Amino acid sequence: MATTSRNIKVFYKQKKNTTTSTAKKSTKNPSHKDAAATFGSDITQATALASHGGSVDLKDDFDEEEKVLAQFDMNMAYGPCLGISRLPRWERAQRMGLNPPEEIESLLKGGKVRLECLFEGRV
Amino acid sequence: MEVESPEQLQRKQTTYLSFGENFEIQKEVYRGQQYSQIYFARLHWMRALLYSLVPNWKSHLPVCTILGLEEGTECIIVGTLYKHMKLKPCILDEYSKERSVAPLVKPHNFMNQDDYLVLEDESGRVKLGGTVLSPSVYVTGVVVALHGKETSAGVFFVEDVLEAGLPPQIERPLKSREDKYVVLVSGLSIGSSSSNPLQFQLLVDHITGHLGDEEEQGLVAEIVHLVIAGNSVEISRGILSGQNLASKDQSRLSEPFKELDIQLTQIAASLPLDIMPGSSDPANFSLPQQPLNRCLFPGSATFNTFRSCTNPHCFELDNIRFLGTSGQNIDDLTKYSEAKDKLDFLERTLRWRHLAPTAPNTLGCYPFTDRDPFLIDSCPDVYFVGNQEKYGTRLVKGSEGQSVRLISIPRFCETGVAVLLNMRNLECHALTFGTQFSS
Repeated sequence: MATTSRNIKVFYKQKKNTTTSTAKKSTKNPSHKDAAATFGSDITQATALASHGGSVDLKDDFDEEEKVLAQFDMNMAYGPCLGISRLPRWERAQRMGLNPPEEIESLLKGGKVRLECLFEGRV
Repeated sequence: MEVESPEQLQRKQTTYLSFGENFEIQKEVYRGQQYSQIYFARLHWMRALLYSLVPNWKSHLPVCTILGLEEGTECIIVGTLYKHMKLKPCILDEYSKERSVAPLVKPHNFMNQDDYLVLEDESGRVKLGGTVLSPSVYVTGVVVALHGKETSAGVFFVEDVLEAGLPPQIERPLKSREDKYVVLVSGLSIGSSSSNPLQFQLLVDHITGHLGDEEEQGLVAEIVHLVIAGNSVEISRGILSGQNLASKDQSRLSEPFKELDIQLTQIAASLPLDIMPGSSDPANFSLPQQPLNRCLFPGSATFNTFRSCTNPHCFELDNIRFLGTSGQNIDDLTKYSEAKDKLDFLERTLRWRHLAPTAPNTLGCYPFTDRDPFLIDSCPDVYFVGNQEKYGTRLVKGSEGQSVRLISIPRFCETGVAVLLNMRNLECHALTFGTQFSS
């Protein structure tokens, strides 16, 4: 359970503060790579988690922009994230007057990031 | 003997404005979403509204989210109600190995003494206790504000409820209007064994002014609009067995429409009419039902007085706002809650500011992502429901001077009753047609 809890935090990141300190980032990256190496080997629960997506794009999950977008996905104030793409969800939040952060919109319109939510294809 | 030329009676005119775009789904794109989106839109809109009403209700109490509830602290929470019903039909009942509580013969009403209410928002849900909130009145999907406190059992003991109440109504200018009448009818069920073609023909002849003397015709000339609130045709189920239709069955399928079209052509030639789809009409099943296709009415659709409308339907005639449905929303409330009168259900939906709170839980509904089109944001002057057992009407007054005429339109094929509404004072009475000849 102790090893899988590290993996669960990767999938269900739910930080209350939106500021991520650089110190945290540097310590997290090496540990992610370790966890990646052990995917599917001896931790049965990790295999169960990984078996959903045939191609788990590891780089995509852990870069900075994706973290910010995952935070946006998980934020309950903007409604459920499943069944709606990130940009329409941002626009809906904008129309409803919820003031979603502008940087999310620019990230999504800039390309290079996943336009679907964190769980798309995995649930 | 001099021949008097008969004076031409002119029918009165009205201005018509349609508000049906809200209920049209042509622009919607289905991306695989589920109903969580429409519930979120509903909760967001209603919660913002309730938060603005809470200070006038109980300003001294704190408002918190469900997850933020503390035991013993009196507070106000806002969320969507969910009613747990033991007898509610569930698809999983088919797979349960033991005989469940649900009886094999489905009752018309699924209420049970053990039903309880739960309040949900995005953060969590809490079971509701106390006697103020009666599970027999409320249904899943209603958004309310509750005052109470959490008990040690984890149940929220409700002390008071705040419903949204009647929406604001646009002031109508009080100029003395002339008498203008609107006829509302529903449940024609042409093609069914219970419909009487003579009865409907009488209605058509009466409205088009072919019956009666000049005085009668003068009264009829004041009828300015006709609304057909659903279930205009009924196709016998025997034909639709899933097999390919033989050509003679195909003609049987289209006969009710031909008959309806002939009648509607007579009406459309004489006055504007709106036809709404109902549960037995060939329109989509889930609400909002889309307008019946104009191809079904080759004769009447050529008239510009013919309008095919959505269900629910919202329109304005001479600045009087009408809102109504073909009955599916009220029929669903009848199954999952109780009231002494159908008009009570109608009044409740208005006070909850939602046309169909049980959608999408037990009533088919399109999975909208960014809005809930059934929210009532402006109070209508006339609020009707079609396809009910009997005619009923009531005038409802709101706390801010709103005044709404509620109308329950009976099924014409069973009762022969249409409703006549006077736009000057919003009074209405029944127009009954009978074809029994006493010998």
